[in-house]
Amino acid sequence: MKKAPLGRALVFVLHGSSFKHRPFSSATSTFGLKKVTKTNFDSALEDLRGHVRDADFVSIDLEMTGVTSAPWREFFEFDRYDVRYLKVKDSAEKFAVVQFGVCPFRWDASRESFVAHPYNFYVFPRKELPFDGPSYEFLCQTTSIDFLAKYQFDFNACVHEGVSYLSRTQEAEARCRFNLGYEDELSNLGCQFKEVRDIPLISTVDVLFTERMKNRFREWRDGLLRNTKGGSQFEGNSNGSKQQFQTVFFKMRPALMLMGFTSHQLRLIQLVIRQQFKDLAYVRVYGEDSFEQKLVVYTDSEDDKDLLMQEVKDGLHKEAERKIKAAVAFRHVIDLLSSERKLLIGHNCFLDIAHIYSKFFGPLPSAVEEFVSSFHEKFPYIVDTKHLLRTNNAIQNLMKKNSTSLSAAFAHLCPQIACASGASALPHLSYLKVEVQVDDMRSSNWNSGAKHEAGYDAFMTGCVFAQACNHIGIDFNLHSPSTVLAHNEKLQKHMNLLYLSWNTGAIIDLSSGKVTPDSSRFHVNKHRYPNVVFQNIVLLWGFPSKLKPRELRECLSKVFGPESVTSVYYLDKTAAFIQFSKEEFVTAFLVLKETLERNNDPISVLHPLSKLLEGGRTHAGNYEVYKQICSSANSKILFADQANSVGIKLRKELDTQELGSSSGMSGAGNSILHFVASSESRKCNDMLNDPSYRHFSGDEMTDALYIIKSQLGKQTRNTKL
Amino acid sequence: MSRFLQRRFLCSRSRSNQSSKQQQWKAKQVTKSNFSEALEEIKKHIQDSDFIAVSSQKSGAFSAPWRRVLSIDTLETAYFKAKDAAEKFQLFQFAVCPFSIKESKVIAFPYNFHLFPRDELNLGMPSYSFSCQTSYLTSMAWEGFDFNVCIYDGISYLSRVQESSAKDRIGSPISRIHPVKSSLTPSVADSVFLERTRSRVRHWINACKDPIPKKGTDDALVKSLRKLILGEMFGARPCMSIDICSERQVELVLEMLNEFSDLIALIIPDKSGGPKAVRVVLTSSEEDKKLLERELENLEEEENRRVRGFREVIDAISVSQKPIVAYNCLDEFTFIHSKFLAPLPKSMSEFMCSLRFAFPCILDVNHVLKEIGPLKKAKSLPAAMSYLKRQFFVPLDMEIPHHGFSEQEHEGKNHGHNVLRITHLFAKLCFILKVTPASNQTVNDDLDNAMESYANNFYPYSTGLQELIDGEGMLWMDNSRKVSTEDLAFLWGFKTGMSAGVLKSVFRGSHDVFSEDFEVRLVDESCAIVVFWTPGSAKVLLNVLSSGMVGSGGLKEMISGGLRGVGYEIYKRICRLGLWESNLAESLERESEEPTPDVVGADPTKDWSDIDWSNDSMIKLEDL
Repeated sequence: MKKAPLGRALVFVLHGSSFKHRPFSSATSTFGLKKVTKTNFDSALEDLRGHVRDADFVSIDLEMTGVTSAPWREFFEFDRYDVRYLKVKDSAEKFAVVQFGVCPFRWDASRESFVAHPYNFYVFPRKELPFDGPSYEFLCQTTSIDFLAKYQFDFNACVHEGVSYLSRTQEAEARCRFNLGYEDELSNLGCQFKEVRDIPLISTVDVLFTERMKNRFREWRDGLLRNTKGGSQFEGNSNGSKQQFQTVFFKMRPALMLMGFTSHQLRLIQLVIRQQFKDLAYVRVYGEDSFEQKLVVYTDSEDDKDLLMQEVKDGLHKEAERKIKAAVAFRHVIDLLSSERKLLIGHNCFLDIAHIYSKFFGPLPSAVEEFVSSFHEKFPYIVDTKHLLRTNNAIQNLMKKNSTSLSAAFAHLCPQIACASGASALPHLSYLKVEVQVDDMRSSNWNSGAKHEAGYDAFMTGCVFAQACNHIGIDFNLHSPSTVLAHNEKLQKHMNLLYLSWNTGAIIDLSSGKVTPDSSRFHVNKHRYPNVVFQNIVLLWGFPSKLKPRELRECLSKVFGPESVTSVYYLDKTAAFIQFSKEEFVTAFLVLKETLERNNDPISVLHPLSKLLEGGRTHAGNYEVYKQICSSANSKILFADQANSVGIKLRKELDTQELGSSSGMSGAGNSILHFVASSESRKCNDMLNDPSYRHFSGDEMTDALYIIKSQLGKQTRNTKL
Repeated sequence: MSRFLQRRFLCSRSRSNQSSKQQQWKAKQVTKSNFSEALEEIKKHIQDSDFIAVSSQKSGAFSAPWRRVLSIDTLETAYFKAKDAAEKFQLFQFAVCPFSIKESKVIAFPYNFHLFPRDELNLGMPSYSFSCQTSYLTSMAWEGFDFNVCIYDGISYLSRVQESSAKDRIGSPISRIHPVKSSLTPSVADSVFLERTRSRVRHWINACKDPIPKKGTDDALVKSLRKLILGEMFGARPCMSIDICSERQVELVLEMLNEFSDLIALIIPDKSGGPKAVRVVLTSSEEDKKLLERELENLEEEENRRVRGFREVIDAISVSQKPIVAYNCLDEFTFIHSKFLAPLPKSMSEFMCSLRFAFPCILDVNHVLKEIGPLKKAKSLPAAMSYLKRQFFVPLDMEIPHHGFSEQEHEGKNHGHNVLRITHLFAKLCFILKVTPASNQTVNDDLDNAMESYANNFYPYSTGLQELIDGEGMLWMDNSRKVSTEDLAFLWGFKTGMSAGVLKSVFRGSHDVFSEDFEVRLVDESCAIVVFWTPGSAKVLLNVLSSGMVGSGGLKEMISGGLRGVGYEIYKRICRLGLWESNLAESLERESEEPTPDVVGADPTKDWSDIDWSNDSMIKLEDL
């Protein structure tokens, strides 16, 4: 059943690749990438081991099924670095990696060129182990899937033939379960058939069957004892009984292989063996092709039986290890990269490394610092070409104002590879030669042109890096095989520095976990938004959908003064950030909103803010609330829905917490203000060491309250006038 | 994909009792490229048929073992589970089979539509993202599913609700004007504007109609000159544009145009969807006017097709009001509702209302099956089919007078055959139960009482066709023995890996409540459900568990070892509020420790549980 369609799938895949590989014979320049699926994974892994060991650096690239799980999870200017990490984390946890490009580069001194070996792994998180745990599931972002389709991504190859994997955490769990599994079973075999004892022989069919089996086994055993010298009579008999029995040898002992029984019948057989035959044992083992076999084995003595059980246990253990190894599959590539401690190259690769961590190591930590230090342990050297291109002056001069997107940088820095003609641009510059080797084919003028194939993107990234190294003065000719590129002092300025948040230019140092703004930044949009001050931000959601940003701002200006609102930014049509000019306004706003909602008198109705509160679904919170909402595991499409679903839990936290400073404002269980208060107090505990947070004490809180009250008074006067 | 489509031949007349032939029934495969053509065909077949069978292929069914619909679920909790799945997962294929039963013959027209929620209009619709369950995809791959066809060439769609919001946002390039009310008191500026345009229009009409001097009837040059002078043409008809700057002016212009008989007005929208100009087209006669109106309707239809995509098929089914036959209707119709009609409502009763509005009669084969005693336990379509084949002789002919595909082209592409199985099974059942509609009556009349009793029953008896993917079913109870939800208790906090049998033997005698007859089943690895046949026992047990007041013995030991328990109410709550964790114990634990304020279900859900719960508090525990 399973085999035929698989075969068909294989044919399909092979057709696909032979199309790509056709130019083999004709020329040197356009053979395909090394396409790796589960059929050729083992051999490819062996080749890759050699290539990585010899490599000076290894570039990587990933293709995923999506990037953001909801529109508001996209990256905003208003995202502080920790929020940005939460968004990356959400992305890495929800989406699957479908293609993994690995391209080792080795400097060949004799030919004065690099040799690259681009591998394109199709990856699919298939469930390979027979456990019932949470089902494997991943998200697809429709636009990303469509994008992949546009570049002719072969989804069939991915689902039918993709290489599966287990993370280290999953592997440990699997081992644990296997151990549990066969421990249980063996203890059962050790004559305490708890489960088996529970089967009463109700139906006559069962009774008859049991009797028949009893006779059959007795006959066989007696036959064995009688015929120690002669041939087996039983063999002949077994042919008659639909070949359900076959005499074989198991670990030098005679055994009966049971075939074609239902699981219920097998349980009855176990029962018979246990009750009636001291010298027979029922075992479950794996045969040559790892097919499960059920055997009834003859043992000479109790000791021999124990010995058999031990042997069976070892066998099961070995089988479990084999299965786990097979299920780990693609992760061996990651283990290889990690254990070789090679310099890794990626392009704008923070999301990539988050994926690598969550897919192949374990669940992502909730704090970015913890994540990077943990990642750094596994991969000590990583250079981001995006960072290299944007921050190195020598290269900046070359790049001028060109885009630093991968394909643009590749075309600009490596025109001799990008365009096969090679004659274009910047003749005074020296270009590094890059030869490409796939299996036995080698070319110095290679371009598969398969953009957005992970293997090709990895290749481009590596070329860009090599060329950039050349420009910043690293002379590979002075390179001896023993020199480690990662230790080159000219690279140290860029080592382990990744863009955490590309649009705000935050750079994270993987070795220290420090986040710094991008100093040498020439951002075109620099002045589009005023400086973001997180303490001054109020997050507002659920307001009337027709409310335009301008109206929102007017509303607020009427209450807090014309200069009070620095900026208004809509996350989506249901939510907005409001940045006030002063931090006090944040609390003032939240308290005022609360007051207005509680009172239903004409004053509240006529208040300028009431326009904003129309519909009664408007909620607000400070920046910490935003962070909380982002850290939630679910993703509703609209921010307001998300916030409300998280809101349930937020409020739950409140009730259990000592509200301390805000004791004056108890009651009103649905008050978001409570959360503000409690989150502030929690912040005190968590963040005392962090200077970037402003401590916000209870006193200030009550002060703010007074401000509000007086302002409220003023406002009412105004509206009355 | 075009290789799929062209060749036509009359195929597959096979007798129902020849199993080898059954496999050759083929559904017509429909992708983006042959959709329009197939749509016209299927609309006709829908009109002519007695029933419509539907069946779909999804990207997944549940995110954790306990989250599939189980026999411990009431209709309400089952709905919440189905709703969650329908919102998360995606439809990859949707098979529709209009069929008629004529004496001993079934005439069927099976179509299998490949779907992909491509964002054709760039509006983030129909679906920003969707989940895939890998075991589902893997088993689809085994069956030879072609993911490339689905993703590259799948038909997109918008739900009814999405369509209306899309129309607001894009504005169709030409929108026809429908009569507007005229309760306006024109201002001075208005009347000036009006007067000016009126005279403009009048002059223009006169110029157009001005009879060309008879002598030069053949004068092409004159005609083209006139065209030049009179300005724009709309197709072969003269037209003129009136620039406007507000909605108000549109109304004024439209009202004024009523004075002229041969004019048709069109609103030209600007980029933001607001009106930019009114284009006035002059028709030459009453017939010509009608002709133009028809042309415009066609244009609109084409536009709609672009926007609605596959939903046109669903609409056609809905409009026909024909009875729909499906297997596991709750699954099927939560998907249909959420993808093609509107977001799923918060309660089952609202869902049923909303659904009945679109599809008045839905028949679940599963329920009809239950009429035949031994089939109560049938776990899947094939099982039911083979039973029927063995036990009954049904001289039923299946006829598919369909332009299918030649065998070679079609090899391994037998997708959507499930819909044919459903059709076939349903027809057989009708035959056996003698509820076959007489051939020349209209269906709604002859759906006799017997049939009606099956209609719109959504109780999920078993977990779908795909259940076998993840292996063993996990719950079974005494056949059709009913138990009140009050006699159930969820227990967790025991050693993982304990089987139900072991648990039962551990519980037995550990406390007085366990001295009577009871059942233990695992819901998932982490959590078991205990069924008491003695009323009140569950309550006693839960009290003991929460207070820890128990003298000695096994139960005390287990409580100190972490055993916890809650009643069915909490389970209902976590389903309603969607507090889905990867295992049930975790969900129950969280909810019982810190109850979530019930904001989500603050509205009609409550009513539902208050009013209908009493009728529904009996669960039929079925053998899975």
